Amino acid sequence: MTQPLVDVVGLQTHFPVRKGLLRRTVGAVRAVDGVSFSIQTGRTLGLVGESGCGKTTVGRSILRLVEPTGGGVRFDGRDVRATSGAELRGLRRRMQIVFQDPYGSLNPRLKVRAILEEGLIIHRLGSAAERLERMTRALARTGLTAAALDRYPHEFSGGQRQRIAIARAIVIEPDFLVLDEPISALDVSIQAQVVNLLIELREQLGLTYLFISHDLSVVEYVSDDVAVMYLGRIVEQAPAARLYAEPLHPYTLALFSAVLSVDPVRRRRRIILTGDVPSPASPPAGCRFHPRCPLAEQVCRQADPPATLLDGHAVHCHVAAREVERAGGDAAAAAGRMAEFMAAAASPG
Amino acid sequence: MTAAFGSSMPLLEIDNLVTTFHTPGGRVPAVDGVSLSIERGRTLGLVGESGCGKSVTAMSILRLVAAPGVIEAGRIILSPAGGLSRAGGLSRAGGSVDLVTLPESQLQEVRGGRIGMIFQEPMTSLNPVLTIGDQIAEAVLLHRKVSREAARARSLEMLKLVRMADPERRLDEYPHQLSGGMRQRVVIAMALACEPDLIIADEPTTALDVTIQAQILDLLADLRRRLGTAILLITHDLGVVAETCDDVAVMYAGRIVEQATTAELFARPRHPYTIGLLAARPEGGGHGSRAAGRLQTIPGMVPAPQHFPAGCRFHPRCAFARQPDCSAAMPELREVAPGHLVRCLYAESLGPPHCIDDLYQEIA
Repeated sequence: MTQPLVDVVGLQTHFPVRKGLLRRTVGAVRAVDGVSFSIQTGRTLGLVGESGCGKTTVGRSILRLVEPTGGGVRFDGRDVRATSGAELRGLRRRMQIVFQDPYGSLNPRLKVRAILEEGLIIHRLGSAAERLERMTRALARTGLTAAALDRYPHEFSGGQRQRIAIARAIVIEPDFLVLDEPISALDVSIQAQVVNLLIELREQLGLTYLFISHDLSVVEYVSDDVAVMYLGRIVEQAPAARLYAEPLHPYTLALFSAVLSVDPVRRRRRIILTGDVPSPASPPAGCRFHPRCPLAEQVCRQADPPATLLDGHAVHCHVAAREVERAGGDAAAAAGRMAEFMAAAASPG
Repeated sequence: MTAAFGSSMPLLEIDNLVTTFHTPGGRVPAVDGVSLSIERGRTLGLVGESGCGKSVTAMSILRLVAAPGVIEAGRIILSPAGGLSRAGGLSRAGGSVDLVTLPESQLQEVRGGRIGMIFQEPMTSLNPVLTIGDQIAEAVLLHRKVSREAARARSLEMLKLVRMADPERRLDEYPHQLSGGMRQRVVIAMALACEPDLIIADEPTTALDVTIQAQILDLLADLRRRLGTAILLITHDLGVVAETCDDVAVMYAGRIVEQATTAELFARPRHPYTIGLLAARPEGGGHGSRAAGRLQTIPGMVPAPQHFPAGCRFHPRCAFARQPDCSAAMPELREVAPGHLVRCLYAESLGPPHCIDDLYQEIA
């Protein structure tokens, strides 16, 4: 296999919890606590999970917008955590991010020209004339015209602003984009426009994406591979088609069952999880999902489940591991059994 | 209209409602002639994108539209409390009342009494300096002549009803100590405390995670079954409607463009906007969607009320629009099948036997 563009190994990002007059560190919020994945050039990894699971922190840690506290991040073979100064700036030219809220991510006091030009100036890309050409090209790629350059963000709709944010990201011609809930703040009819735009850009520019979202349908549509996060960890990871067809982890099963469908044929029997996600400041011992898991056993309360691998499909679950072994490595059979267990455990009465 | 349920008279009937905002930029008709009826014990979904007027419609029902908004025309008839309600006092079994003209003092009794309200963001609808128990009790004390102790007992009962974990302890806690899902349970408990006939739920699960959304929708469905409360559910999410509502009305640019039972609407959508919204969803299920390559989109965006186009307000974005008819006059909302109303000149040709993909292929 060729070297992945992005390679994340055992990534940890803990935020200190300080208390008292001396602001002594009394604990840590383990937002990201041992996350590993890699993304090959031109591919898209979807990262799904509910709020507070750490998916946004993963994206920001890769770009070092927040400092990781452990583990490694390699971008195109270079250790991102070991670089600094000009070298880090060089890497960052190749990695960009698009945020969720196009109202908050664009400086309202700058014209679009200044917003787009900032990155070009910082990275010393081209003369003034060349910069204008690059900006015009980036806007055209996102479906806007050069007329946008002399207007302010407030003059645009939410969908157009997100196009500007995408233009800002691609104007310096990066290789890799972190897309952090890029469509969640948009209206339904606009979401589809932006999803199509992102897919077109990936094809035209050969971009690699980390697509972070809580919307499972959009993630399936956009991603080649999908990782499911829960409380700072990846609990299951597989090629998109495999994961959606044969989910093995109880959390993934519950998450998929909660997706509301307009198609009665596709509608699944809903598995209602009890309780809320625990605080990442004091994650439960053993499997982090066990307090909410209808299949939890004694071992789940004690031991952190290691990864069970089935060519390209990884799952962290004691019960799933046993079922995979029982099925002799037949993923479809194991997934079927897990689905039965969950349906039985979640049926009322 | 929708099939009568129980009595011949709907619980709430909105007739030609017009709610306008008078801004320095001119008159903005946010709700422009909306008629709806909600039957007792049924759930009506009101769907549309931001700015379509769905929330203003809901706020108009309780006359909570803030200045410079005014209800300029229309009637909102609330029928007398039915046999289901044991509510005392205010709901004297007199005639129907028109909420548009009802004096403010009597309206107070309707708000939170006969009609409960659930908003999108539970943190903003809860008072941060009152305990959970006090907030629910406040709603009870406002509408019932009961002692403080009885009101507190009622609060506890309501927390149990909404399946709050550890209800005795929660009674004395403050909103910030609860998670988003628990806060929304408190808001639902408050809305239900006076046994309303109708609950207006404005995007009740939009701020919540999917697994918590599943919990709350499950709870609402269960409560409706047990208490027989009618629900007006306002949402932008067609999936929420499909799984929780009996009937659905789709709004676009201040008007209802399509209305039917949920089963009928999703099986046979007839308005191009509804068809477009459904086609724009990247519905998974394990296969298929990626092969299609691109999502269907509705071009352009929702027009601002100051710039509503002439004729059908959807025609500039409509893949099926034909000139000059579609820009000539606003189409009437007409019944194209029993109980299925559509505001489109060509609704019949957009119906079955075509499926959505075929329709789009025809245009392409």
